[in-house]
Amino acid sequence: MISEIDSFTEKYDLLGCIQCGRCTGGCPVTVRADLNVRRFVYDAYNEEKLEELARLAEIWDCTTCNTCAVRCPKGLKPLEVLLALRSMVVESGKVEPTVRDALQSVLLEGNPWEKPRATRCDWMEGLDVKMAEPGVPVENLFFVCCTIAYDPRLQVIARNMVRILNKLDLDYGFIGTDETCCGSEVRTLGEEGLFEMLIEDNTELLNSFEAKRIVTFSPHCFSVFNTYHPDLKSEVAHYTQLFEELAGENKIPWGGELQKKVVYHDPCYLGKLSGVYDEPRRVLQKIPGVELLEFDRCRERSLCCEGGGGKMWVESNSKKERLAETRIKDARALGADIVAVSCPFCLLTLEDALKGLGLEEEMRVAEIMELLGEVVEE
Amino acid sequence: MKTFVCIKYVPDTSEAEVKVNPDGVTVDSSRFSFDINDADNYAVEESVIIKEARGGDITVVSIGPKQSDVMIRMAMAKGCDRAIRVEDDRIAGHDPLMVAKVLAGAIKGQECDLVLTGCMAGDDGHMATGVALAEELGFNHAAMVKKVEVLDGKVKAYRELEGGLMEVVEVALPAVLTIQTGINEPRYAPIRGIREAQKKELKVVNLEDLGLNPEDVGPEASGLVLENLYVPEIESAAEFIEGEPDEKAEKLASILVKGGLL
Repeated sequence: MISEIDSFTEKYDLLGCIQCGRCTGGCPVTVRADLNVRRFVYDAYNEEKLEELARLAEIWDCTTCNTCAVRCPKGLKPLEVLLALRSMVVESGKVEPTVRDALQSVLLEGNPWEKPRATRCDWMEGLDVKMAEPGVPVENLFFVCCTIAYDPRLQVIARNMVRILNKLDLDYGFIGTDETCCGSEVRTLGEEGLFEMLIEDNTELLNSFEAKRIVTFSPHCFSVFNTYHPDLKSEVAHYTQLFEELAGENKIPWGGELQKKVVYHDPCYLGKLSGVYDEPRRVLQKIPGVELLEFDRCRERSLCCEGGGGKMWVESNSKKERLAETRIKDARALGADIVAVSCPFCLLTLEDALKGLGLEEEMRVAEIMELLGEVVEE
Repeated sequence: MKTFVCIKYVPDTSEAEVKVNPDGVTVDSSRFSFDINDADNYAVEESVIIKEARGGDITVVSIGPKQSDVMIRMAMAKGCDRAIRVEDDRIAGHDPLMVAKVLAGAIKGQECDLVLTGCMAGDDGHMATGVALAEELGFNHAAMVKKVEVLDGKVKAYRELEGGLMEVVEVALPAVLTIQTGINEPRYAPIRGIREAQKKELKVVNLEDLGLNPEDVGPEASGLVLENLYVPEIESAAEFIEGEPDEKAEKLASILVKGGLL
């Protein structure tokens, strides 16, 4: 702990900051929270002040959308300072009960939703799912995010995927109940020790399968495997990348059309953190009937939905409009029928916003895999 | 302050589907997650708060399988100093009196000022083990405690009673307090703390190690026979009784008599 504090300035290159303010200027949560990330980078020079900074509620407002890092002309990652402060709180044990329970659930059951590990594959019921076996080569090893595996609203994403994979006769395999949280939210909630443990365990688990590539459902798993798992033997892809390939090769048997105006919302972890912007759009464009629209704030400038950075377990005190609501209003102004997403957190936050605004009759929020399920031949 | 905190490893049945095994007296636990009993978690936190304020040390006592070690290490990561885990199949675990005898066996003979435990277990819900433990140890006790103030040689315990009443009692030490949920906000046990806690002493013992005779705490000694477990049938009958108070009472009484409840 002491040595960590000592190296704080060095670790986050705080002296490299020129206080230009591009981070704060681009930070999407400043419109509804008191968070001023430039101030934290400045104040954190003073190591004696760290404990005090760690007690400030706004360190939990950051959604880790990565805008500050993308915009920093010096290549710093201002958000990491906030995560390090969160880490100090986690080490003291004095975290919000929701955060405590999520982290403890990851340790005990391998998911942050306080669900038994034994029920992780209940979504497979009634489906003919091919399971991967350690040591047996498999082309595509699917990694189902905890949220998709357990949330009844999201399980349709995994179920549609299995139906389509079977239809395409693709070589694939699922992991089963041994699959464990990728740790993306564990990291951003500041539980460094648990995150390190997950990296080791997941590297060992995933390497035990002879997979050509690991295909993730969630951009969060995708980003964390690509960024923090240097010893993975398989390449890691997001499922939209796989489906872009399949659609490009005209391998997807379309059985219907979707005569709708669809606007695509870039998830931060797929876009700003991973640079995957085009593949999801190309998949949507291939769906017969779809007219693809674009938000004014799209791609690198995309507005965060506030679902990342552990925010599923930390409620903001702000009463101001949620960014997800802003996003839905923007989509409505564009005349979109569907807001398409490729991330489970974006789906939940945007759909909540849609319902909150009472627009369910006019528009819908849908995961790309939900839309594919509706138009790929039975 | 020498504190003992007794904790239990229980399944979380809040959302899971409960299925009774063919033997009729056990439950299929293969799809459950297990963790520290909720009220015991608050007891652990309270013991650590007391230690932080007044010094001393804390010993965790638990009866359970090896899998429960993670729960014990978490308690240690939060500030408990050592642990005794009793692992023995011969204990009549369904009977709180037998459980209390075993817990007492683990505590007796050691310096002890205060014993904390949850007021109720999430699995069998007897709400009896803590007070039975006080009897076995010959200690004073207070049950359903929602606030504790440690004074010299005694504690002031705030007991939560029916109807939102709070009873304040002074209890001379040594004493057993059964802790109600909500008394504090249990802290998180970070993984680094859990790893650090591996260095702390965790003694695994059986009945002989505690100087207990298995016959005194086994099914043959228990006055409680578990005959049958079943999942209550879900019924949705609701009847609104109309009329003047006299008529309502008469109708209600006749329903109760007809139903064999009176």
